[in-house]
Amino acid sequence: MSLVAEAFVSQIAAAEPWPENATLYQQLKGEQILLSDNAASLAVQAFLQMCNLPIKVVCRANAEYMSPSGKVPFIHVGNQVVSELGPIVQFVKAKGHSLSDGLDEVQKAEMKAYMELVNNMLLTAELYLQWCDEATVGEITHARYGSPYPWPLNHILAYQKQWEVRRKMKAIGWGKKTLDQVLEDVDQCCQALSQRLGTQPYFFNKQPTELDALVFGHLYTILTTQLTSDELSEKVKNYSNLLAFCRRIEQHYFEDRGKGSSSIRLS
Amino acid sequence: MAAPLELSCWGGGWGLPSVHSESLVVMAYAKFSGAPLKVNVIDNTWRGSRGDVPILTTEDNIVSQPAKILNFLRKQKYNADYELSARQGADTLAYIALLEEKLLPAVLHTFWVENDNYFTVTKPWFASRIPFPLSLILPGRMSKGALNRILLTRGEPPLYHLQEVEAQIYRDAKECLNLLSHRLGTSQFFFGDMPSTLDAYVFGFLAPLYKVRFPKVQLQEHLKQLSNLCRFCDDILNSYFRHSLGGISPAGQETVDANLQKLTQLVNKESNLIEKMDDNLRQSPQLPPRKLPTLKLTPAEEESNSLQRLSP
Repeated sequence: MSLVAEAFVSQIAAAEPWPENATLYQQLKGEQILLSDNAASLAVQAFLQMCNLPIKVVCRANAEYMSPSGKVPFIHVGNQVVSELGPIVQFVKAKGHSLSDGLDEVQKAEMKAYMELVNNMLLTAELYLQWCDEATVGEITHARYGSPYPWPLNHILAYQKQWEVRRKMKAIGWGKKTLDQVLEDVDQCCQALSQRLGTQPYFFNKQPTELDALVFGHLYTILTTQLTSDELSEKVKNYSNLLAFCRRIEQHYFEDRGKGSSSIRLS
Repeated sequence: MAAPLELSCWGGGWGLPSVHSESLVVMAYAKFSGAPLKVNVIDNTWRGSRGDVPILTTEDNIVSQPAKILNFLRKQKYNADYELSARQGADTLAYIALLEEKLLPAVLHTFWVENDNYFTVTKPWFASRIPFPLSLILPGRMSKGALNRILLTRGEPPLYHLQEVEAQIYRDAKECLNLLSHRLGTSQFFFGDMPSTLDAYVFGFLAPLYKVRFPKVQLQEHLKQLSNLCRFCDDILNSYFRHSLGGISPAGQETVDANLQKLTQLVNKESNLIEKMDDNLRQSPQLPPRKLPTLKLTPAEEESNSLQRLSP
């Protein structure tokens, strides 16, 4: 969007308070949604919970196509539709709620850098695992992605998406990586997050920010999703402070509000 | 430790040891960590896989991407991050991700996609350093690769036109530069007084943007306003790359002398101008001080005279 359009939208956003009937759209939880989309959706839900804004989650099979940017999740607030965590954070900020106001410039730079790290490594690794690893693709992804649609549409859509994702992987240089290298990258990323978190409750000490929401979304989904092998979740389980972090956010923001999702199995 | 390490990379220009970002990152890291690197410039040579440049060759290994090369150097005990704490190491990874996501698309665009820049600067430079007939094919391929990467990673809906994508990536790049500038502040390097991996990466991305002369310069102008980042690049160039530039440092001296000459010329011209103005003022006829009452009369007379003259 051009600068003018963006300014216009935030003007409209600022005009009304957060309504009671705001909804978040994602794909069907049980049968259709994939690891990366689930992570993104959970991150947005966590962020909105942290801001104390009520949101209702609605599952639709065609959520991806309804979204203005083609990505899930997206929220429908008043008469506006905003998708993806970045724009949603800005939209919520225009309405007057922000988690990162107390940070100084250097901390904001760090926060943005760490969010890019998570997007660059964790999200890309999740996409790689889902769409470029033959075992996972065959057993899980194809079946899930096309499940709401009849034959042959389910196969066509799945292959189309796979082709798109593989093209993107090749463009950024991940096309030639092996699964082991990808898992190593995940390990490096988790190590960096663990070192940054240290013994603090949240990444920027006492108050959670959008970074905490994003990290929680991804790590929790990795820990609780059944894949063909447990290697990915094992990498995360190596870092006990990250596990404690996920548990803390789950207890504080999800169980307390009565939305009990499957809790983390700590073996 | 004494194994000869050879790096194949693109050559330099505009005061830089290399114009290619990734090659520059590896060279800077080698300088910071003290690795004895023999630089093989692949300009004007028939080298096989130019797409993978920079490439590090040792006796038994061939390592290709910057991240892997840096890892390899670290394993060989050339570690520039020795003094960093665990948290600073984590910050390094995060900032590198920020550079690759936010700054790299705009740098690629400035070099390879922006038509004015590509056809007047980048393409001739690379084509002159690649032997015929590859020089006809390779720059075009690199340009298409860059455009592809930009569109696939950032060109998603609701940005449908290339102009909108361009606007977005330049906005992100400017924000990224501002963030880097805030983070650097007034210190010499990003983590105190010793340069580290992050400094190598930032230098590798910023220095070509800072030094290469382009026709379309919006990102360069923005960078030049952030004086601490410019100072950072200049410091590294002067301290670590002065000797290896060899033939360029006397030229550097010459440019300094040339600048000094231009400045003195300008000052001389200005002083000449001031003298001339002064002379003019002295030589102009000194009008006697007018008495106020006569001022009222003379304009009316002149007006009536002029009116008479004008009417046919």
